[in-house]
Amino acid sequence: MMWLTWRQFRAQAITAAAALAAFAILLAATGPHLASLYTTSKVASCHGYACDAATSAFYSKLAGLDTVVYLLGIGLILIAPAIIGIFWGAPLIARELETRTFNLAWTQGVTRTQWLAVKLALTGLAAMAVTEELSLIYAWWANPISNAIRLNTGSAPQLFSQGPFSSVIFASHGVTPLGYAAFAFALGTAAGVMTRRAVPAMAITLAVFAAVQLAMPLAVRPHLVSPSHTTASIEAADQVYASLTADVVPGHPDAWILSSQALNAAGQPVSTIPAACNNANPSGEKGGTTQITPGQCMQSRGYREAISYLPTSRYWSLQVIETGIFLALALALAWFSFWRLGRRRA
Amino acid sequence: MSAVIETVGLGKQYRRQWALADCTLSIPAGHVVGLVGPNGAGKTTLLNLAVGLLAPDAGTIEVLGGIPAAGRAQLARVGFLAQDSPAYAGLSVADHLELGAHLNRGWDAGLARGRVERLDLDLGQKAGTLSGGQRAQLALTLAIAKRPELLILDEPVASLDPLARREFLQDLMEAAAEQELSVVLSSHLIADLERVCDYLIVLVGSRVRVAGPVDELLATHHVLSGPRRDPATLPDGLEVISASHTDVQTTLLVRTSGPVLDPAWTVSQVGLEDLVLAYLSQASTRRRRDNHHHLEVQK
Repeated sequence: MMWLTWRQFRAQAITAAAALAAFAILLAATGPHLASLYTTSKVASCHGYACDAATSAFYSKLAGLDTVVYLLGIGLILIAPAIIGIFWGAPLIARELETRTFNLAWTQGVTRTQWLAVKLALTGLAAMAVTEELSLIYAWWANPISNAIRLNTGSAPQLFSQGPFSSVIFASHGVTPLGYAAFAFALGTAAGVMTRRAVPAMAITLAVFAAVQLAMPLAVRPHLVSPSHTTASIEAADQVYASLTADVVPGHPDAWILSSQALNAAGQPVSTIPAACNNANPSGEKGGTTQITPGQCMQSRGYREAISYLPTSRYWSLQVIETGIFLALALALAWFSFWRLGRRRA
Repeated sequence: MSAVIETVGLGKQYRRQWALADCTLSIPAGHVVGLVGPNGAGKTTLLNLAVGLLAPDAGTIEVLGGIPAAGRAQLARVGFLAQDSPAYAGLSVADHLELGAHLNRGWDAGLARGRVERLDLDLGQKAGTLSGGQRAQLALTLAIAKRPELLILDEPVASLDPLARREFLQDLMEAAAEQELSVVLSSHLIADLERVCDYLIVLVGSRVRVAGPVDELLATHHVLSGPRRDPATLPDGLEVISASHTDVQTTLLVRTSGPVLDPAWTVSQVGLEDLVLAYLSQASTRRRRDNHHHLEVQK
């Protein structure tokens, strides 16, 4: 059964290996240059505010190609599970049902369960391996940029302001790509078993996978790990627009802010900037001689910001839990395929 | 005589429709059995149930004393050639032999190679580019080289041209004789069945209309022709299968165990095709009558 699975999977495996190799060559060709830029910009040895200058210098030296590879890599890792689900998962069983070759396969000397188990296990492991491999070599390549993002506490170009918890970064690093690959593959297979036609199964796979990938960061991920709570200086937390929402958690620059609430001196929640501070502005007309921002104004009146957040120390818990959820979904879908094929008996 | 396929009240339902209902039959071992019936009689469903591609919704089926596809041992004992002999279009003939070798413990590689060479199949050719006859031969090779005890073929020659059909059946006969296989094949081409089968089952609307060794069927069925008369006046022991009348003459196909002694009748031999057709049309006239609630005395 291993032989047949491999023989049927061979062409797809070679395509995937070639794509992976091409991407690896691209990374290997541009990676050392990126690392040397990082070194010469002295980002590694910076302290405190010097880091902002060092990282800015580093960003400004990045060539167009580096930026393209940076984005391309994230895009590839995010899209790889969908491609695997569509082109490996959906046709895996559907094609056999469509061309009626299951008549041949299921009347040889192996049981249907064994046939499906080997097909799912072998192709599924390959799906996970390819995606995770892609993620790992990319993480190696992007390491200087990831470090720079972590060290930059001031304003950075929009492109390089995405911390480890941002939707696309979180989903393209760590072990999550592995979970997505397993899920997308099992989803494609199950869709194929259900529709018995490869093309509709491909469409269903794409639609469901895209929906799940949108729902995950918006609706599910914020609730997976219990957050930390802190009450911080409003001036330090609400840095950008004095919008009464926290932009950073003081002391935890890379933390993921799940929710924040401005509180007045009495500890009551407020949703508008107090009138007295509303007109406060750097030109300082109202405050007399002192230039004062709305943030400084509220700070002086005892306003604070209550924040619930995930510190980077919980990054890996979240990674493992999310990956576990997708692996569990993959197993459930695989079980469905077994059940359905066994029950329908063709 | 042991049975290779034994069913009791067997039924299979697709949505609300019964493709096979209340089918009870016993197919003896050591024969080349022809299963014949009109389209929709449930032949394919019955054979798919026998190889375990389908599971019954009612009744039971035993194949070689076991439950179809219940495990590797059972799978190994039954060879199957599905309708239109499917094959992996992208895999070569050699790949298919390799597939057989990897998926079947009892695989006879020498036999498979020998057959492919004798049939002049190109090992490197993709199955998708084979002719219908070649693909059927390849599928038969796979089914035979796993060394089954029972070979089941579903309309193996339906899509083949007459020459390929004859070659295929000839080859099947030789293989069955050499390996002492029991064979069950379905077809609606009675002439083909006549050439290869020594046992016949006529299945209409899930029911066995007639079953028995071909020579016995031929010996017990006669065509009687004589002056016009009511078939109801015939003596006991004669079962009328079909009757046709002109103004002056009556022609009957009857089944009887003894000789027909009435000198009014001219008795002649019946061919297998006429015999089968008589049973098929008997079933269809009965069905028509049932449908129209039109009562008519036939006997």
